[in-house]
Parts: sequence; C-alpha cells; structure tokens
Amino acid sequence: MPAPDSRPHLLARRRLRFLGLTPDDAIRAFFGGNAVVAVIVLALISYFLVREGAGFFGQNRRNLEVYRLAGLEFVDHLRAQEEGHTALTRRLSELRLQAFDRLSRGGADAEAAERALVGFDAYADRFGVAIDPLRALGSELGDVATAIKTKFVVNEDRKEERRQLSAEGRTAEAERVEVMPIDFAAAVKPLLAARDRHREVNRALAAELTSLLVAAPAPPVPELRESLERFGAEVRAYVSELPAIERRLETWDQSRPVSLGEALRAFLFGRQWLTASFWQDWYGLLPLLTGSLLVAGVALILAVPLGVGAAIYVNQFASTREQRVVKPAIEFISAFPSVVLGFFGIAVLGEFLRQVSHVPWLDWVPGFPFSERLNVLTAGCLLALIAVPTIFTLAEDALNNVPRALPEASLALGASRLQTTLRIVFPAALSGIISAVLLGLGRVIGETMVVLLCAGNRIAIPDFTQGLGVMVEPVHTMTGIIAQEMGEVVRGSIHYRALFMVGLVLFLLSLGINFLAQRILRRYRLAPA
Amino acid sequence: MPKTAASSSPIVEIRDLDFCYGPVQALHAVNLAIPARQVTALIGPSGCGKSTLLRCLNRMNDLIEGARVVRGSIRIHGIDIHAPEVDVIELRKHVGMVFQKSNPFPKSIYENIAYGLRLQGVRDRARLDAVVEQSLRGAALWDEVKDRLHQSALGLSGGQQQRLCIARTIAVEPEIILMDEPCSALDPVATAKIEELIQELRARYSIVIVTHNMQQAARCSDQTAFFYLGRLIEHAPTRDIFTNPANSQTEAYVSGRFG
Repeated sequence: MPAPDSRPHLLARRRLRFLGLTPDDAIRAFFGGNAVVAVIVLALISYFLVREGAGFFGQNRRNLEVYRLAGLEFVDHLRAQEEGHTALTRRLSELRLQAFDRLSRGGADAEAAERALVGFDAYADRFGVAIDPLRALGSELGDVATAIKTKFVVNEDRKEERRQLSAEGRTAEAERVEVMPIDFAAAVKPLLAARDRHREVNRALAAELTSLLVAAPAPPVPELRESLERFGAEVRAYVSELPAIERRLETWDQSRPVSLGEALRAFLFGRQWLTASFWQDWYGLLPLLTGSLLVAGVALILAVPLGVGAAIYVNQFASTREQRVVKPAIEFISAFPSVVLGFFGIAVLGEFLRQVSHVPWLDWVPGFPFSERLNVLTAGCLLALIAVPTIFTLAEDALNNVPRALPEASLALGASRLQTTLRIVFPAALSGIISAVLLGLGRVIGETMVVLLCAGNRIAIPDFTQGLGVMVEPVHTMTGIIAQEMGEVVRGSIHYRALFMVGLVLFLLSLGINFLAQRILRRYRLAPA
Repeated sequence: MPKTAASSSPIVEIRDLDFCYGPVQALHAVNLAIPARQVTALIGPSGCGKSTLLRCLNRMNDLIEGARVVRGSIRIHGIDIHAPEVDVIELRKHVGMVFQKSNPFPKSIYENIAYGLRLQGVRDRARLDAVVEQSLRGAALWDEVKDRLHQSALGLSGGQQQRLCIARTIAVEPEIILMDEPCSALDPVATAKIEELIQELRARYSIVIVTHNMQQAARCSDQTAFFYLGRLIEHAPTRDIFTNPANSQTEAYVSGRFG
C-alpha cells in the first residue's frame, strides 16, 4: 500500500518573510549594505578633501597677485641682497670663533687672543656696516609696500562687511561702509623711483667691499688662510651678483598676471611654509614633505631589520614556546596609544638620545653631538616602534604562506635550516615582505601624534649639506601641521584650504603606497604549485 | 625481474623500531631489511605507519615537534642514523626523497636541479651544466625541457614537475631514494612514465616507495612490506605477497577486501 503522499516536495515552501525578504535575503542585504557604506564613505571623504582643498589655488593665486601688486615682491629682491650679505657676515664670525679657538688651544689666554684678533675685528666691523645704507633703503621701501598691502587687506575686510550687511538686508548700513579704491600702479611709484638710489647704494657697497678685500687682514692664525681665501672668493661672487639684482628690479613688472600654474608650483615646490606673517604668507609643501619623508625614512631603516628579522626568527627558528611569547609581545606594541609613545619620547627618549650623542667616543656618528632633544631621530625611533608590529605581522604571514612543501624539499636535499630559510623561504615570501614594508611605510607616513610631539616642529627644509647629520634636525611634518594648525584657522580662509591640500597630498601618498603594496603582492604571488 | 630478499645484502636494517608522535605510538617493533639496488614497496591502509617509517629513513620526522624514536634502531651501512654523531645533513644527501605532491622551487628548471649542488658550494658552471643535463636525462625529462632550462619550473605539467623533483633528487647522487606516493596526484599516463623511470633507476639506486596503488606495487617493486596499525605484518618478495601471502590480513588487503 503506497504512502499517503509520497510525491517529492518540489514546490516552493512558505518561508518566513519580513518586508518581503527571507532571512537569507536579509542577511545578504546586511553584509552588502556594509560594503556599500564603506565605499560611499571613502568616496565622500575623497570628495570632501578635494572640494575643500580645490579653492586653495584660486586663493593662493590672489595671494601671490597681491604680493606682486603691493610691491612686496620688489622689496624682497632687495631683501635677498641683504640676506646674502648677512650670510657672509655670519661666515666671518664663524671664522673668528675658529681663530679664537685655535689661539687658546695654542696656549694664549683670553686677553692675548683678543689682542691678536683686533685687526680681524676691525675688518669684520667694517664689513658689517657696509650694508647699512642698503638696509635703510630696504626698510624704507618695505614700509611703503606694507602700507599698500595693509590698505588692501582693510579694504577686503570692508568689502566682506558690506557683503554681509547687504545679505542681511541692511542696505543703508552697507552703503555707509567705505571702500577706498586702490590704485596699485600709482602706489608703487615710490618703489620704482627708488631704483636710482639703489644703484648708487650698490655702487658704494661694491666699492667698499672691493676695497675691503684689498685691505684684508693677515690671517690671525695660519690655519685660517685657506678659509679666508675662500671667503674672499665668496665676497667677489656676491659683488658680481649685484648688477643682476639691479636688472631684476629694472625689469620687475607689477602688472604681470599670476597664472594658476604658478600658484600650483608655489604650493608643490614652495620652500617656505609661513603663515600669519605681517609681510607675506607662503604655503609651500616642501618643508613638510621632506620632514615627513625623513622621519618615515629613519623609522623604516630601524623598523625593517627589526620587523623582518623578528618575523624570520619567529617563523623559521623559534620553538613553539618562543613563538607563543614573542608574537603577542610584538603585536602588543601596537596597543600603545601613539600619544603615550610621544609622551615617552619627550620625557625619556629625546633626552636619552641627546645624552648618548654627547658620549665622546660616539662623535664619529654623523650629527653627533646634537642639542635639540626633539628631532628626526627621536620621532623616527618611536615611529619605528609603531611600524614594527605591522611589518612583523604581515611579514610573518608572508613567510607562513610559503607552502611547507618547499622548505621540506630543500631540507630533504641536504640543506641546513639557515640555507633553506635564506635561499627558499625568504625569496618565496619576498613579495609579501616588500608589501609588508610598504604598508608599514603607509602606517608611518600617516602617523600624527608622535611626530607632532617629538619631531621638533621647526618648519624649514632641513639642512642637507651636513649629509647624514640631517637626521638630528628638528622638522615639521604634513600630519603634524594639520593637527597643529587646523584648530586655529578660519573656515574657508586660504590657510584652511592650504591645510586641506596638505591633507589631500597625504591621502594620495598613502593611497599610492597601499596600491603599490597590493600590486606587488599580486604580481609576485606564487603560482599554485 | 624480481629477485629474492636473500640475493642482495641489505643496505638499511631496521630493528625493533618503536616510534612515537608525542604520546601516540605510530610504529610498533618494526623489523625490516631493505636490500640494495632493489625497489621496496611499503603498502597498507591509511594511518598504518608506512609514511612514518619512510620519513624516519632520512629523519624528516625531526621537523615534527615531539616525534621521536623510542626504541630500536635504523642502520644504514651499519651506522645508526639516530646516533648523536650522525650529521643529518650528510644523511639527507645520501637518502634523497621525492614527495607525494610535486614541489619544485619557484625558480628556473636549471636552478631547481642545481640547487643541491649549489648548497654544497659548487660554483663551476661547466660542472653544474653537466650535472643538470645528466640528472634530467636520468629522470627522462631532458628532451622535453632542454630548450627551456631557464624558464620557471612552475610552468611544467604535474607529471613533468614530479620527474623534475626526481631529477633534483638524483643530482646530489644519493644511494637511497625515498618516494612517498609519488604518483598519487598524477594521471595514468604520467604515472606510467614515472613507473618506467623507477625501473631504470633501480639499477643504480635503492628505492623505497610508499604506495596506495596495489597494481603499482605489483608492477614495479621487488620487495613488498605490508603494514597494518603500525605493525609490519608481512615482508616478502612482491610476487609472493600478491600471489601467495602467508598472512590472512595481507591476503585480505591485497585482494581488496579492506583498506
């Protein structure tokens, strides 16, 4: 006798539905939704960065235009000339210091040394005052230019006020706000008229410096002869540059327009980041970019051997028990909040490194001894600590992903453990290790708190002429400057937008690094063997 | 042509071998003499200890934590290979191994073969060239790859890769070659080639092969040892094992009634 209903159930069964979704659909929608949210957020952030940053170039163009219209650019040519002279004077005082040092080491007491340097000092003094007429001219013209700029700024403020008043419908009040028309061309007349005086001043300066060269004192100590000769050559070069400066003033054209490209170049290759200045604001990326790269470079130099070495040891040589201790220990480092690390850097590491640098037998190390507690090295050491867990974990994964069959085959051929690691496992994991290093770099470039606290925050391109000594100079970084200044700027101002541009550069840098890391990982991944 | 066990002096002698992975005993009192220049097949159901025994012969088990010989000895040319004065690296040069899954290095074909010699510090290009050619010929692979020696070994087919691994093994001129189910991942054509190769190799090498494939054991081995639950049940010339087994479990296994 057949069963009451032996037909198979092929028809759709009734399932629980909510908003027309089965539980399966709902779960799928949940996960898909999360992925979509991630993509949307990324797109929104990128859009926001670009939108806020893009206005910068227009504003910076206006900024540079005013720099030119108000004649600040004109005066800066003069100032450059002054600075050239100042550098030479500084050189002279350095030479004096060296001479004094030599004399006292040669057995002379302080008084005798001073006496021996009398001739040199007279020379140096005459050299120093030679610039005074030019400096006076520069300061006079500077006042003119600043006055023009101040007038412009006041006018801009009034225009803004007017705009706001009319926007609020208070037209009568808006009418009363007075906007003075500025005739830039007329305003810079005094500057242009001063060119003849400048030529005269220059002629006198050239004559004075040349006559000083002839009357140069005998070197107070024989060792300085060469340095003095070099100084003489520098002075001659300086004097021969003077006509070029005159020509630059001659051809200076107030009405030459500033192109957007110039505004872009002034940002990307600008060598100064100078804000809220009474003279002229500069938004140049280079000091910040070099600072960030230097710190990241030092961090990687320290972190790559540590991280990769530890990964190789743990993966290839450590016993299970060692692995159980070392792996969590290294990964635990990343549990330190970076502000705590920065605090540690200020309180302990900076001072410690400074004292180490003063150990006499370490003075062969480039840059040692140094006096700045907070510098590239201090920040780099701490950033290395932050990069090590990333590099270690990812490199260890890469080593772990090498199929066990490969080291087995190598060992079976009579290779030692070390040979197997170096010749088979390491090369097979290399792409993964490189991408681990790159991701470590991305981590370090984006790190903010440590560099803000420990890098020294001096906004200037470090002095590369000292070679590796550049490692102990204080720098500022892209991340640090954003964190430091974003809180103080007026929304929508040029400074605000400049910070967004820095953020955008940072974002693109990180994006590039991550992209590269993934490309490398994919390209060199082992073919399934 | 299969010979009898007595006709050839043993190169490996295993006596009363007990072997443990941690607390688990994998081999119980195994006694086995492996004759020189013959093919000895180790057969038995999964988990019977045949692979463990194979990996004892070149001490690959050293890599597994907690794995150790508890009792008994393995002697090669009369030397106990677990004695402290034995250098495991030297041992592995004498006892080569071919794995179940072909595992060429992610290098060129040439470098795969030259690897063993480079480990020993050989830099002489002419000698390396000679050994590479000789080994590839020995593994019947030369004609197929001689034009692409410097291309990646990963581009070879599965059967070619396995023959490459055999060539890599014979490049360091071992006396004994261990094969751990070398054909289990290959198709019948590639398998036939490897079996043919084994027949050629037995003139110069002593071969121990672990196999699940009863026909393979019957076709290409001189001696067969049947393992069950960590014990050596029967060891005899292959023809006897397959036609006239002394033990009823052996008979049940070779005739396919269990395993």
